[in-house]
Amino acid sequence: MAVHECDVCVIGGGITAALLIERLAQLKPGLRITAIEAGRSIFDRENRGNYHRRALEYGEHPWHEDYIEDQQAKGMISMTMAVGGQALHWGGACNRFSAEDLRLKSMFGLADDWPIEWDELEKFYVQAEHRLNVAGDPSPYPADARSAPYPQPAMPLSYNLQVLKKWGEQSGLKFSPLPMSRNVAAPADGRGACGLYDTCGDVCPTGARYSPDYTYQQMIAAKKITLHDRTLVRKLTLNDGTNTIAAAIGYHQDRPADPTEYRARLFVLASGQCWSPHLLLLSANARFPNGLANRSGLVGRFMSGHKFISAQAMIDEETFPGQNMTHSLISREFFRCATNKPFVRHDTRVWESSAGKEPRLRSAEGRLLLGDELLTDWRERALKGSSVRLRAYYDSHPSIDSRLTLDLTSKNHYGDPMPKIDRQLDAAATAREGATLAHCTEVFERMSKASNGRLTGKPTVSTYWDHPAGGCRMGTDPAHSVCDSYGHTHDHENLFVIGAPTLPTGGCTNGTLTFVSLSLRSAGKIAEVV
Amino acid sequence: MKRRTLLQWLGVAASWPLARVELRADELAQDQVFVLRDVAATVLPATIGTKGQNDAVDNFLRWIREYKEGVALAHGYGDPRLVKSGPSPAPAYTKQLIALQQAAQARGGRFGSLPIETRRELLDSAFKSADVRNLPGRPDGKHVVADLMAHYFRSSGANDLCYNARIGRNTYRAIRVTTARPQPLNGGPGR
Repeated sequence: MAVHECDVCVIGGGITAALLIERLAQLKPGLRITAIEAGRSIFDRENRGNYHRRALEYGEHPWHEDYIEDQQAKGMISMTMAVGGQALHWGGACNRFSAEDLRLKSMFGLADDWPIEWDELEKFYVQAEHRLNVAGDPSPYPADARSAPYPQPAMPLSYNLQVLKKWGEQSGLKFSPLPMSRNVAAPADGRGACGLYDTCGDVCPTGARYSPDYTYQQMIAAKKITLHDRTLVRKLTLNDGTNTIAAAIGYHQDRPADPTEYRARLFVLASGQCWSPHLLLLSANARFPNGLANRSGLVGRFMSGHKFISAQAMIDEETFPGQNMTHSLISREFFRCATNKPFVRHDTRVWESSAGKEPRLRSAEGRLLLGDELLTDWRERALKGSSVRLRAYYDSHPSIDSRLTLDLTSKNHYGDPMPKIDRQLDAAATAREGATLAHCTEVFERMSKASNGRLTGKPTVSTYWDHPAGGCRMGTDPAHSVCDSYGHTHDHENLFVIGAPTLPTGGCTNGTLTFVSLSLRSAGKIAEVV
Repeated sequence: MKRRTLLQWLGVAASWPLARVELRADELAQDQVFVLRDVAATVLPATIGTKGQNDAVDNFLRWIREYKEGVALAHGYGDPRLVKSGPSPAPAYTKQLIALQQAAQARGGRFGSLPIETRRELLDSAFKSADVRNLPGRPDGKHVVADLMAHYFRSSGANDLCYNARIGRNTYRAIRVTTARPQPLNGGPGR
């Protein structure tokens, strides 16, 4: 078996790995860091304009072969597996959680507290915002106070969002531009500046939106990292007689019968909420029959994230759909909840929309519309007020049975069982589902009525949990958690898990900034102990 | 083809751009392109003029030529699925255009020369046979005419025409453009 030696072996090549490695290389220059990623490197930036055009015209996926066909999980919300991970094509939303997320148990008697203080996490939010060059305005809510300003002012609002902000604020909620990881003012860090083109949902043509592939390429060029892509780590092995990790066993796609043993002083599992617990479970051995880092039995449990409630409203204001459907407004009005009232926490989001105002082939009476008739029908509907997309991501606390398990009915070509994720709310969260839906419906209706508007249907609850996390929850008690607040596993002194898997609960807004902030904090601890 | 029908064809075809001589398996033959242009005059807005309609057909023909088979489509988010693009729609389009031409001839002549309600009837029947219920989000290969309409009406240009505004959806624009109320296309206040 081939052997590859390094100081730190990072398993996974997504956004948390990229920023952790970048930070670690700064803290410990000369450290030999190897990153292993199952998917391929997609560095052909010069072709992305064409890929994007084809995505629009043909529905083709603009990130070619960013998946491994037989390495898929049931219950996973994205197939992407490539250097850069899902952040190759994220929107760039960079919302903070709030202090309440870290004190759910002590403030509300719900779920669990996080083993970290808000002021400590806030310092790393600031670091993460600088690394991601986040553009944002200070929140209008005093409770969202920051220790440092955003590195850039907020992205300019499209004309449509300017109109919708005025509309939304008539309801009493205060809205801000969603903080975004974008170069707005000028090119920076090898990436261009934003043009508000609204092509960012798939491909950002200028690179203004942060994308980890840039970071990997820069680190490779500066020889700060060795990247082994298209290499699947199938197992972690232990040293004889100790609980320390000896090696990661990796299989390159072109040499499936010829594994490589990656030896390192320290291992970092940075494979996200699905593949991190999956690898730990796959690595079960005689001493750890339930999987590595799993003496608590909690690897693959408390799979979190959050559900969301969506609605469409029709209002009187005039907008012009197609200006920028990616950027949104956010209100943090309901991030806080009085402790003497029924618990409900959610963000409130507003996007421009063309729903109900699309061209159609037949009139309401079923008559086939041709040429100018179709255009006239379209205009009559399109020019009557505006459609607005509304959404609320809400607290969805997982139960211990919210699980990732090994699915013996689904195996990859090596014969490894693939993950199966089945998310479940805990009893309290289940009990308040109806009240949460009623509350969000009332908020959306109140917003709509401010402009003689109405909801065009009943708000609906998502069929999946967004911004998934959990599976290796952090905590102070080894009997009730997998790792500490740095991601240092309780069972293995040279194994860290970073980012999304470590979250005990998934918050009520986009999670990436929190995943990255925690990873930057982990980088400091890893630099100390390696 | 009857002499009168042929003369009708030639008269209409005189206003159309010269068709390419070479033909590949993934594009339409010249005869079918003629039929398509004839149908386009009915199903695309007269507002964009003959040139606009011809440009829309040219764009659609380019779409057909550049179609790739067996390519992974966007696998989505939330409930992702791996789906690959199917075979080129060109052969099915050819059959549909021939069928449409024959149906038109059976009703009295070239498609564009028939009364509008007859044309509507022919297309209604063709769409029902092809299970076309609404305008697809983008051409989906079910029926060539519905796909031509989708290719045009879902375009950024058609969106601008609908709102009488220079919105420029999915195009590169300056921030100063996106942050201002869009300028009208043809004078007036827009919208």
